[in-house]
Amino acid sequence: MALIQTANLKKTYQLGHVQVPVLRGVNLSVQPGEFVAILGASGSGKSTLLHLLGGLDAPDADDFKLLFDNRPINGMNAAQLDQYRRTDVGFVFQFYHLLPELNVLQNVTIAAMTRWGWAFSSRRAEVEKRATELLRSFGLGDRLRHRPVELSGGERQRVAIARALINGPRLILADEPTGNLDRKTGAGIIDILLERRKAEGRTMIVVTHDPELAAKADRVVRIVSGVIE
Amino acid sequence: MYQLLLTRVYLTSKIMPLLASVGLGLCTALVLVVWSVMGGFLTTLLSSGRVFAGDATINWPAGIPHYEALIKKLEADPAIGAVAPIIDTFGVVKLPDDRIEGVRIVGIEGKSYSRVVDFDKALWWRPIKEALPKDRDRKDPRLNPDEQDWQAIYENSISLTKPDRVTGERVPAAVVGIELSGMTQRDGAGYYTPVGLAKPRPDGSVQNLDLYLHNHQIVLNIIPQDSQGRLMTPTSKPLPVAGEFRTGIFEIDRRTVFVQLAELQRLMLMDAVAGVKSSPSGAFNPYENVAPDGTSLGNVETTGATPARVSTLVLRAEEGFTPDDVRQSAMRVYTEFAEEFRGSVPQAFQINNPRGVKTWAMQMSTLVNAVEKETALVLSLFWFITIVCSALILAIFWAMISEKTKDIGILRAIGASRAGIAGMWISYGAILGVVGVALGLGLAYIVVLNINSIHDWLGYSLGLYVWDPRVYYFSKIPDRVNPANALIVAGAGIGFAVLGSIIPAMRAAFIRPVTALRFE
Repeated sequence: MALIQTANLKKTYQLGHVQVPVLRGVNLSVQPGEFVAILGASGSGKSTLLHLLGGLDAPDADDFKLLFDNRPINGMNAAQLDQYRRTDVGFVFQFYHLLPELNVLQNVTIAAMTRWGWAFSSRRAEVEKRATELLRSFGLGDRLRHRPVELSGGERQRVAIARALINGPRLILADEPTGNLDRKTGAGIIDILLERRKAEGRTMIVVTHDPELAAKADRVVRIVSGVIE
Repeated sequence: MYQLLLTRVYLTSKIMPLLASVGLGLCTALVLVVWSVMGGFLTTLLSSGRVFAGDATINWPAGIPHYEALIKKLEADPAIGAVAPIIDTFGVVKLPDDRIEGVRIVGIEGKSYSRVVDFDKALWWRPIKEALPKDRDRKDPRLNPDEQDWQAIYENSISLTKPDRVTGERVPAAVVGIELSGMTQRDGAGYYTPVGLAKPRPDGSVQNLDLYLHNHQIVLNIIPQDSQGRLMTPTSKPLPVAGEFRTGIFEIDRRTVFVQLAELQRLMLMDAVAGVKSSPSGAFNPYENVAPDGTSLGNVETTGATPARVSTLVLRAEEGFTPDDVRQSAMRVYTEFAEEFRGSVPQAFQINNPRGVKTWAMQMSTLVNAVEKETALVLSLFWFITIVCSALILAIFWAMISEKTKDIGILRAIGASRAGIAGMWISYGAILGVVGVALGLGLAYIVVLNINSIHDWLGYSLGLYVWDPRVYYFSKIPDRVNPANALIVAGAGIGFAVLGSIIPAMRAAFIRPVTALRFE
């Protein structure tokens, strides 16, 4: 059974008086443990698709299907969507999106705080241990107390990956994770992601226009003008 | 949990909200200081005003005859603990340095008056063993038994008499408000010391006066009135000074002179005299036509003794009864009394009204209402400033949330709920409120507690005397913080901070995650 399943998924944005259709009916199915790369030009709707899959945005109300583990994402209420983002999905963004006032360790553990709420205090030691191990395995063991501004782009992205992984999500959604990095650093980031996916058997959907990254995926889908070719 | 972490981080990394918090603290301090001083002013006014007002009074300025009978009836009432007869009038007093002052002259019987009000406690010159709390150097002259015979002065003051210098017989004397003569100066520690006064001699030289007023005499000038309220020949009477009193209300201490009731009755022509039958014309002065022994001096026919009169009866409530209970009882008793002495005393309808029988609060109502209104006005102005401070927090939070839009998007992307985001900003506002209010309460407490020292320092250093006792009645600024007021101010301060954060918090909560993540 597919972990992610979409059918006739559409999204239109209203820009002033103009309606801009971004997704025009996407049909996609992703199996558990599969690594899918979505390729496409800028403005083709790649990131929008990722946001819909991650429950960050809602598709147009129409005859469509958007399922995670056979559960309709669009049928979830606000609390269920929050829970879905907390436990089932890990996001990695092109521009890292770390919280500038927090240090590296806090940027990772904050995702666990949103998951456990007030119960986090009883799990603090366990979570911090796991976050430290993750960060050490990413070569950031000596940067735990550093702020994002003190890190390089590659280091920031590794922190963002650790944050995406800390709650053990079944689905990793990465939006051009190497798009802001040089080739060598980007390759290192991809290696980390692939290593983790392989070790923990996670499903990964990566939006990219980097053919080298796409070549490492189990499957490549191309999105052109809002539909998958 | 993440709310606590981010609130803590924002608190230590963002200066602007902390400045707003300091602003809120200053507003809180401002409100509490003003409330404490104005509220304290009102409380002091009420408690000090009661010193000589009793719980209720019966007033008839032209004089209540047969007052002894009325007192007997009043004291038999279970609501009334004690009654003192007084004459309350106005006059002019000549002081030892030849100054003339308009004063309120009150005729009392020292001991009976002390049963009703705290007259004996108000007497200032008396022997004391314990120094006043701030008089660490024990400079209060009353602590020194060799300075004056304090016990004799106190006893003279209670009896309103003094031994005559020549005969040694006790003669009527006056007890004067301590601020009237200008012969004493109040130290910051609260005690009074005598200051030297001088008066010119006819030959142009200067005579230095004895330091203490109780070693001098004053001259009372009074215009008596008859039972019909008509003014009569002015009377002048030199009286030795027995002592001085202090209530703490500057206006009372500056303009009141106590004398013996019997003496004032005599000066006011309100003592017992022979009565006369009205002449056909109706216009006569009985004191020009009747000899002191009651015999007729002309064509006026005497009718027996006219009883002595007093203008006021001061009543104290019995334990467990309120001033209103006393007032009701007084009116009931007066009705019986007026019935019994029909024709010779004011009728019940003349007395049983808000002008005739008053509780102490009714007596002071004009002043109290004015102070209450002034307090309310000033407080409302400062509360308005605090609300402006709340708007300041709103503006700062609004700006911060604009700056933090992307962070909010990140938090939503990792599963933070709308309620969680809103809660974070509201708790941040609440913490800023708590910090500001704690700061404000501390500051207000320090200022109020030391307000007299601060005022004195401003006076000495900058010549800035904001609190003029001639304007504000008291020689000391009230310096107590009412815990209930502090609680209200603290609650409101935190409430305003939370209020200021609610709208920005709602805005943050309803930012769409995708919009927030794309925010530049």
